[in-house]
Amino acid sequence: MNQAHAPTVETASLRKRASAGAWIMALLWLAGIVAAMAGITRYAIAPGREGEIPTHWPSASRIVPDTVRPTLIMFAHPHCPCTRASVGELARLMADCHGTISAQVWFVKPAGTAEDWTNTDLWASAARIPGVTVHCDAAGGEAQRFGADTSGQTVLYNQSGDLLFHGGITIERGHFGDNPGAIAVKALVNHQLTDRIQTPVFGCSLLDEECRPDKGGTTWKP
Amino acid sequence: MTNAGSGRAASLFQEAEHKIYLRTDRLFARLMIFQWLAGIVAAVWISPQTWIGSTSYVHWHVWAAIFLGGAILGFPVMLIWKQPGQVLTRHTIAVAQMIYAGLLIHLTGGRIETHFQIFGALAFLAFYRDWRVLITATVVTALDHFLRGTLWPQSVFGVLAASPWRWVEHAGWVIFEDIFLVISIRQSLDEMNGLAERQASLEAVNASIEIKVTERTAELTRENAERQKAEMALRESQELYHSLVEQLPINVYRKDAEGRFVYVNSRFCQIKGRTAEQILGQTAEAIVSAAEAEQSAKEHELIMRTGQSMEMEEMYPQPDGTNLYFQVVKLPVKNSEGRIIGSQGVHFDITLRKRAEAKLNEVHRQLLEASRQAGMAEVATSVLHNVGNVLNSVNVSSSLIADKIRNSKVSSLSKVVALLKEHEGDLPAFFSSNPKGKQVPGYLTGLASHLIEEQAEILREAGTLLSSVMHIKEIVAMQQNYARTSGLLESLPVVDLVEDALRMNADGLQRHNVKLVREFAETPPILVQKHKVLQILVNLIRNAKHACDDAERPDKQIILRVTGGSGRIKISVTDNGVGIPVENLTQIFGHGFTTRKEGHGFGLHSSALAAKEMGGSLTAFSEGPGLGATFTLELPMQRQTEML
Repeated sequence: MNQAHAPTVETASLRKRASAGAWIMALLWLAGIVAAMAGITRYAIAPGREGEIPTHWPSASRIVPDTVRPTLIMFAHPHCPCTRASVGELARLMADCHGTISAQVWFVKPAGTAEDWTNTDLWASAARIPGVTVHCDAAGGEAQRFGADTSGQTVLYNQSGDLLFHGGITIERGHFGDNPGAIAVKALVNHQLTDRIQTPVFGCSLLDEECRPDKGGTTWKP
Repeated sequence: MTNAGSGRAASLFQEAEHKIYLRTDRLFARLMIFQWLAGIVAAVWISPQTWIGSTSYVHWHVWAAIFLGGAILGFPVMLIWKQPGQVLTRHTIAVAQMIYAGLLIHLTGGRIETHFQIFGALAFLAFYRDWRVLITATVVTALDHFLRGTLWPQSVFGVLAASPWRWVEHAGWVIFEDIFLVISIRQSLDEMNGLAERQASLEAVNASIEIKVTERTAELTRENAERQKAEMALRESQELYHSLVEQLPINVYRKDAEGRFVYVNSRFCQIKGRTAEQILGQTAEAIVSAAEAEQSAKEHELIMRTGQSMEMEEMYPQPDGTNLYFQVVKLPVKNSEGRIIGSQGVHFDITLRKRAEAKLNEVHRQLLEASRQAGMAEVATSVLHNVGNVLNSVNVSSSLIADKIRNSKVSSLSKVVALLKEHEGDLPAFFSSNPKGKQVPGYLTGLASHLIEEQAEILREAGTLLSSVMHIKEIVAMQQNYARTSGLLESLPVVDLVEDALRMNADGLQRHNVKLVREFAETPPILVQKHKVLQILVNLIRNAKHACDDAERPDKQIILRVTGGSGRIKISVTDNGVGIPVENLTQIFGHGFTTRKEGHGFGLHSSALAAKEMGGSLTAFSEGPGLGATFTLELPMQRQTEML
């Protein structure tokens, strides 16, 4: 064997040291990744801020409640990617409720935004849901009246204007699938539940910070 | 498979494994870069921004796709770059794939569809054909499901409240796939192992073939060298053969089974006066006379039939009137199986030899004639000498007779007769009274007695004379007998021959007081040419006498012995004369060798030749000077043929 290619004790030691270094790096990498994943997961499941939801239909609202059926109102940011899941879950909910509720989606248009601010695919998606009417909440007045801070905020009032449910109908940001909010709405509509139900809301902030009624900052983190 | 073979198979298997590891590492490097970019694109496409009212920010999904995805996928890509094919690399890839799948599951809110990413990643990981990688991936994804299913079930199962064992179900499906993948990997590894073993076997066979090829090449090289050497030797042999066959004065031909010439050398063509093209393919009829061709055909047929070779001499008359003589050897041509496939012949030109032989024969004949004449002269000398001696006796006897007659008393008788005639008339008175008359009776009585005595003496001398004349007659007859040139063989008693030779030397022997001793054994008659034997014996006896004379000793003696046995007769002549020096014994029979002044060196030479011609020999023995010598003539008892 060529002596130049013969493994020496020194090169073997170096190789072993390099291998050990790689293993250590791998472990550190794994630890970092796990930590990051945990952090992201924790953040992902952190709900958005929810304002003071009126327990009775606010009288100042220009929204006309349905007197025959419970009225469900969802406030949405037309550009919030997470709200796509909320609209999707609304579609499922409406399908499951078979017209037993009246549903409206109000897309908030902050002040100073362009006219086509609400002209998004999300609007179109919501508009395609049978039994759902879509509206523009200019300057977010209705959202403020209903205490909605986070896109996807859903409220359900009965025919008497009493608050039955408030929160989100997704279990996480942008997550499709069964969720406590939708289940609660269906149960309430079907009179299987009588207590008021609240679930966390996952989505973008509907209003600019300065537009918030409390101006007390935000729990949302970009 | 041998240990070396299995070792090589294991080496090939590991080599193939390592290649697979490297190839799959590269595959995953490309895949993970693609995953990273795809994640970024998806994040940008699906949720590029997040909003606070009218204010937008880059969505944290984008940052997560860039940085967390980069962190998850970047490290294994770095390992692929730095440590391709290593165990840590592929296990890190497995961990990264599962974590990335977990991230996707999480980002998609635990969508079941996204879980298929895990199965897809497992399938890709199976490309490594290393079941341990699947175990690592399985453990990681199981832990991920367990931890997040316990802590944040909605992030992995999409529900807020999942069964605490749901992670086991998911892990079970993963293991379910693992089982098939592991089986597939095992089969694949078995196939690889089989391939490695086959390749090792092929390599071994190839190596064996290579060795054999190398050995065979060496053998071929050696054989080639040997063949070249053999070819060179063959070429030299052929050149030698060609040189011999074409340049030696021999004619060579070969015929096939049908008697057609298939080879002739140039000298054969030259002798036949034709070219090889004219001869080859032809039978003997084309080049010789019909009679010779017929003879040749018969000989060819005999050789083909019997396989016997034949040797003969042939004569070819030439246009210039001379003859060429050839010694011809004809023999069969056999193939490798020993079957006769033709005949061949070699003609040795013996013309010169024949001429030399003829000349030699002539010289020999002349020599023999000279020898014979010389021998005859020797004998004639002896004969004349003997005749001379006898003539002395004749002369003495004649003189004596003449003297006797001259001095005879017959004249006295005439006186008495005259006296009686004178007294014719008175005879009685004369006898009675005359004194002379009275003496006449007495005188006549005395005269008669004297005349009777005289007559007896004359008769005796006459007898001696007659005897001498007879002796001369015998000597002459012997000479005549010797002088005969015919090669007539006679059956003769050996002793008679010896006695004849002695008689022819008798006078000399007697005159020189040489004592003769005869020791003759009983021998049968011998069939010889008498004159040759006599020539030899006369020579030997005379030489012995001379040797005795030269010794000047008083007790001169010659011993003649005749012995027989083993079909041969030995006649030896031993003298006690001067003897022969040893150095002369070897040349004593040479032509011209002699120790005597009056000798001409021819006697013993011609005697030896004569003895040889009769199938015998003549040998000489002497213990040295002064010790005498023995010459022995040895002859066969019966001789059927006689050489000239």
